[in-house]
Amino acid sequence: MSAARLVRGAFLRSNPLALLSVGLWSLVGGLFVTDLDIGVVALSAYLVVVALVAPTWRYPLLCLAFALVAGATVTYSTWRGNGQELDAALVQGVRVLVVAWPGSVAIGYLDPARLGDHLAQGLRLPARFVAAFVAALQRLTTLAHAWTQLDRSRRARGLGPEWRHPVAAVRWGLSMAFALLVHALRGAGRTAVAMDARGFATAQDRTWAESADWSRTDVAVAVGGLLLGLVAPTVWAVT
Amino acid sequence: MRPGEVRVSGLSWTPLGRRSPVLIGLDLNVQPGERVLLLGASGAGKSSVLHALTGALGGTIAGTLDGAVSVGGRLGLLPQDPTDSVVADRIGRDVAFGPENLGLGRAEIWHRVDAALAAVGLPYGRDHPTVALSGGEQQRLALAGVLALGPDVMVLDEPTSMLDPVTAAVVRDAVVGVLGDRTLVVVEHRFEPWLDHVDRVVVLESGGIAFDGSVDHFLRGAFPALWMPGATVPEPLAVEGRLVAPAGEVVAPVAEALVVDLVTRLLRGTQRTRAIDGLDVATVPGRRLALTGASGAGKSTALAALAGLVRPTAGSVTPDLSRLRSRDLAAVLGWVPQNPEHAFVTTSVRDEVAVSAARLGRVVDVDGVLAALGLDSLASAHPFRLSGGEQRRLALAAGLAHRPGLVMLDEPTVGQDRRTWAAVAGWIGAAADAGAAVAVSTHDADLPVDAVVEIVAGGRS
Repeated sequence: MSAARLVRGAFLRSNPLALLSVGLWSLVGGLFVTDLDIGVVALSAYLVVVALVAPTWRYPLLCLAFALVAGATVTYSTWRGNGQELDAALVQGVRVLVVAWPGSVAIGYLDPARLGDHLAQGLRLPARFVAAFVAALQRLTTLAHAWTQLDRSRRARGLGPEWRHPVAAVRWGLSMAFALLVHALRGAGRTAVAMDARGFATAQDRTWAESADWSRTDVAVAVGGLLLGLVAPTVWAVT
Repeated sequence: MRPGEVRVSGLSWTPLGRRSPVLIGLDLNVQPGERVLLLGASGAGKSSVLHALTGALGGTIAGTLDGAVSVGGRLGLLPQDPTDSVVADRIGRDVAFGPENLGLGRAEIWHRVDAALAAVGLPYGRDHPTVALSGGEQQRLALAGVLALGPDVMVLDEPTSMLDPVTAAVVRDAVVGVLGDRTLVVVEHRFEPWLDHVDRVVVLESGGIAFDGSVDHFLRGAFPALWMPGATVPEPLAVEGRLVAPAGEVVAPVAEALVVDLVTRLLRGTQRTRAIDGLDVATVPGRRLALTGASGAGKSTALAALAGLVRPTAGSVTPDLSRLRSRDLAAVLGWVPQNPEHAFVTTSVRDEVAVSAARLGRVVDVDGVLAALGLDSLASAHPFRLSGGEQRRLALAAGLAHRPGLVMLDEPTVGQDRRTWAAVAGWIGAAADAGAAVAVSTHDADLPVDAVVEIVAGGRS
């Protein structure tokens, strides 16, 4: 097995709190992005690491696209409001990328059950809340299937999206979103009945089938996140 | 109260938003270890009785509840759709949910998980992903989840209605195998295979009990609304030709060497599964084609590919409807999805029937369609407020009222009562007689069709 695959596997199996800490340190690091050079160096460091550890490029790029929209908006408004200085505006935009992108990528790889273990056993959040939260995350995977079915029905009934008519396309999107919401709510109701009938309704002192351990890999991921977060402050201190 | 005993007295139930009650002063006592088959037509209140036993009525399910329900010991519910009871992404952790709620120690939890998985015959390890299970396996996983609780009363809500006969038998054997001396209450539409395993039959009708007695006594009775053993299939509903005669061009797609890969994009990587592998099948104007096969064999995907709702990975579908704009597709195609709730796009039964025709500028006799399907008294009701059978009939009207030349229904008779079954059989028969090309995916051998193509693990047998 190559080193890259080892790293990738470790990243996917790692502790959800360690993954969340990656996003947290990027938030802190973003504060030190005071000029374009620092921003570019910090962002490059994250890009290289994500390229090494992410199993597919699709999801990180999607996150990057959303972050770019946010960054561009901030850049433009800073440019308009701050005497049209392009450099200062770009710094603000790059800072948004450094703050938002790493965390949004890391969140995507959380394992719901392990997150629940850590929230309940590590952080001592209320057991019923955590169990319901984990079940809700699990239900998200059924939404993609529902979307496909809703889309097929609408298309076959002449109510599909018409991209040439923006108003009709927006109406289609709203109708799909509403239908998906209704579907999710009704599904959540049925899941609640099923959960209650498995002892959840009367659960008093809930236990957890697996422990919330910190392995060496988890610590390594957390330390890696800290080091990445330190890139911006370090460059800031040196220059 | 003894463990395994069930007492229901004076139970009345009106769901939120309904005027008339679903259950009216129902009394039902079940002794420990008794095995009860609960029957009734669609909308008779079977699911409401089960939900009352689980304690969900008036709480998780909103409405007005009267009367008393008490259950001795612990109760476990197996829901109709096994995906509703999945709470974790690995099977071991999913089965552990019940024991966790009981506050058991870690060693006892895993002891129970392993025993339950073995008892229902799931051969995979604890870390097997729940999404990778087939329909029958998912239902056995749900059964393991119930079993791990150590229930005194097991309540099954149509546990095999979504499965083909072979898979259904595996799940039924798993249930009977783990039952022991526990109390059983089971609801099922096609109930014949359960009769050997129960002591008592209760038939619900308009909110009360119409029959309560032994299996022998039940078999001597007359229940026209139920699927009695040996009963002939229902007479297909007579549908007037003018309601189904194709209003436009009749297209009949033909698939050659069809290959369809389904792509599931997860963050942890992309899963590509070959749903259809080299299928040749043709629809014919004026004929009804049935795509059959085991649960998960790919019959729904094959139907969707013929309908132009899924693009082929390789091979061809001629004419290829997937290139058409939505409105042009609707002009030739009528599609009824497996889950009726996926079909609904409006807030009233009447609008639901009219909307596609209005989009195409076709004139449709909405009242005639509703009357033919027995929905005329519900014209102003909200589609989501209907019973299961009523929803299925409305989905049929919504998908087909605009008189398409190509009529396609995905699993149209799953879990349906005789009246809805007769409506489906009658509608597709009349459409074919009027010249439409008809195709259904089904594992119902009784549905009258002109040609059957069995799909075996993606290909044709």
